[in-house]
Amino acid sequence: MASSSETALKTFSLTNDIRDISPQDEIYKYDVEANKRLIREQPWTNDPHYFKSCKISAVALIKMVIHARSGVPWEIMGLMQGKVVGHSIVIMDSFALPVQGTETRVNAANEANEYMVQYIEESEKVGRLENAIGWYHSHPGYGCWLSGIDVNTQMNNQKFTDPFVAVVIDPNRTISAGRVDIGAFRTYPAGYTPPNTSASEYQSIPLSKIEDFGVHANQYYSLEVQIFKSALDTELLGLLWNKYWVNTLSQSPLISNRAYAASQLTDLHQKLTKAASNVSQTKPVVPALPSTGEKISSTSKSQKSEPKKEVENQLAKNVKDSTKIAMEAQHGLIAQVIKDILFSSRPGKASLEAITSIEETVEMAIG
Amino acid sequence: MDSGEPSVVLPSSTLSSLSLSLHPLPILNISEHLTRLRLQTNNVLPFVLGALLGTQNGREVEIVNTFEVAVEQGERVDHGSFNVRKEQYKQVFPSLEFIGWYTVASHPTSRHISLHEQFSAYCSTPLLLILQPTHISGVSVTSGHLPIKAYEPTIEIRDRSSRSVYIEAPFTVETGEVERIAVDTTARGGEGGTSLESHLQTQRAAVKMLHDRILLLVNYVKDVISGSAPKDHATIRSLAALLASLPASDSQGFRDEFETEYEDVQLTAYLSTLTKSASILNDIVDKHNVLHSSGREERSAGFLSSRRRGIPGRGFGGVPGDWDRMH
Repeated sequence: MASSSETALKTFSLTNDIRDISPQDEIYKYDVEANKRLIREQPWTNDPHYFKSCKISAVALIKMVIHARSGVPWEIMGLMQGKVVGHSIVIMDSFALPVQGTETRVNAANEANEYMVQYIEESEKVGRLENAIGWYHSHPGYGCWLSGIDVNTQMNNQKFTDPFVAVVIDPNRTISAGRVDIGAFRTYPAGYTPPNTSASEYQSIPLSKIEDFGVHANQYYSLEVQIFKSALDTELLGLLWNKYWVNTLSQSPLISNRAYAASQLTDLHQKLTKAASNVSQTKPVVPALPSTGEKISSTSKSQKSEPKKEVENQLAKNVKDSTKIAMEAQHGLIAQVIKDILFSSRPGKASLEAITSIEETVEMAIG
Repeated sequence: MDSGEPSVVLPSSTLSSLSLSLHPLPILNISEHLTRLRLQTNNVLPFVLGALLGTQNGREVEIVNTFEVAVEQGERVDHGSFNVRKEQYKQVFPSLEFIGWYTVASHPTSRHISLHEQFSAYCSTPLLLILQPTHISGVSVTSGHLPIKAYEPTIEIRDRSSRSVYIEAPFTVETGEVERIAVDTTARGGEGGTSLESHLQTQRAAVKMLHDRILLLVNYVKDVISGSAPKDHATIRSLAALLASLPASDSQGFRDEFETEYEDVQLTAYLSTLTKSASILNDIVDKHNVLHSSGREERSAGFLSSRRRGIPGRGFGGVPGDWDRMH
């Protein structure tokens, strides 16, 4: 952070001397003609993998995360405005829709459509020229992926209002992990089977949702999420840090996460119980043999172990979950211990030595 | 200040008693609005106008969100679209009220007073938030102040006539936890190494900030003692009060709670390690079985149940030959 505030100053002084538009801000320009041409050409219709990344502006991200958090424990949804640049979808802004769902039932109802159309019309008046480019919704506490309903919604959207992207945010995990938990997804056209179903980054999914997750996992792929900001944003963010660093020290992630951590433990317990009954059937993963000669002999084995592999992974997956929970708890504790050393220890006779050693370490770390 | 017209801001000796807290989102919103308009109009200083949304409780005001306001010819607010927007935000964020407006300028002028009158139909005292883009160069960047000023409207009576004026309102930056995380993420550019790394970096940056500030105070006290700085009794008194309040949480109750929390976390870590070792052990046993039972496909039910028991922490005492029989 400290270094980012320094770079903020540097970027600013650089951009301030040159009164022109900095290259960083180029992305904020909206070329109506180029966009129309792109929409006409529709280069994405031929390639289901056309879009590779999703760029989100700082404002859009913060708006979405705050909105998602305000809805907990309900799911919320909204729309995003943006454009297409090359192989990426660029999200400039987002707005909330008056829809609140339960669990995986978020769907754009008719009442929201009117709101949506009106909002976008009004946007043009204030210089927000971009059209709707996607929708976002929240999965409070169960990770970023698309449920069956989400897949259907997104498929319809891609059929009728392409280019369109689906963004999912988990406000609970955002808080517990201390970083924004976000995913951007595009569905494959109906009937398309992805060439290699390489498992994306592992994420823990609660037992109650795992079926929904597994069934639809091959119908969409995730885009790389990048965040961009303008030169002015960078500078303001640097200055903002000077104002609100206190919050880092005054908030306790352990306390604000208590309920969520408990629910995670309960879920893990259920998963472990399930895994315990399967443990006796596990078999090791047969290592892949590169040479062709041995392939024949191994095929019979690997075929057999294929369904069991799932079971094998079960325990290993649970280990990942538990490690994650423990890690987040440790992070919270680290913050708490730092604060304890800083504010609650009085340099007395006995502890003076300890304090000086701590001071040295702190000096070293900060220096 | 402009020489021709009288200043619309009362001298800085009178500060508003409003307790104002500002969230990062409105600040970034204004910045984004400005950047966008700059690019669209090719003008370094376009006319930026927007509404502030937030909550007001007595004299406590919190600015949480904003939306852009459409402008008609001659800097008139487009009231139709303004109302539509206001209603739309009301639908999704029912707790937020219209509490003021923002623009980009170096300081309020009579131009802003006329805008103020257009907004006062919606709210009795619409606040004014100003982003000062021209002001940033040089001094204020290094001093670390946000180039933002908040003003509260009031009425000044002088020479038997009243006029609308502004008084500056001091503000603090407030964030919710999610907002802080989101802002942190954007400030770092989205990527931040491993989660431990980014966590420690945030903590370190905050501690460094505290350290810097304490150093500043220490230097000041040193200077006062050596006589090179003027003695400010109010400052020194608050310093003494600050010192007296340390250690911050010394009560037994807090200690107990803290210990419990500490133990809970360590227990979580312990359990997680245990799960991990159980899984590794399971792996080893599986692999071992493959090595030693090749050819023998059917395993007895007894083998299965005893193996299950064997997982958690049974000693590997058996001679290698006995392995298959025992497990």
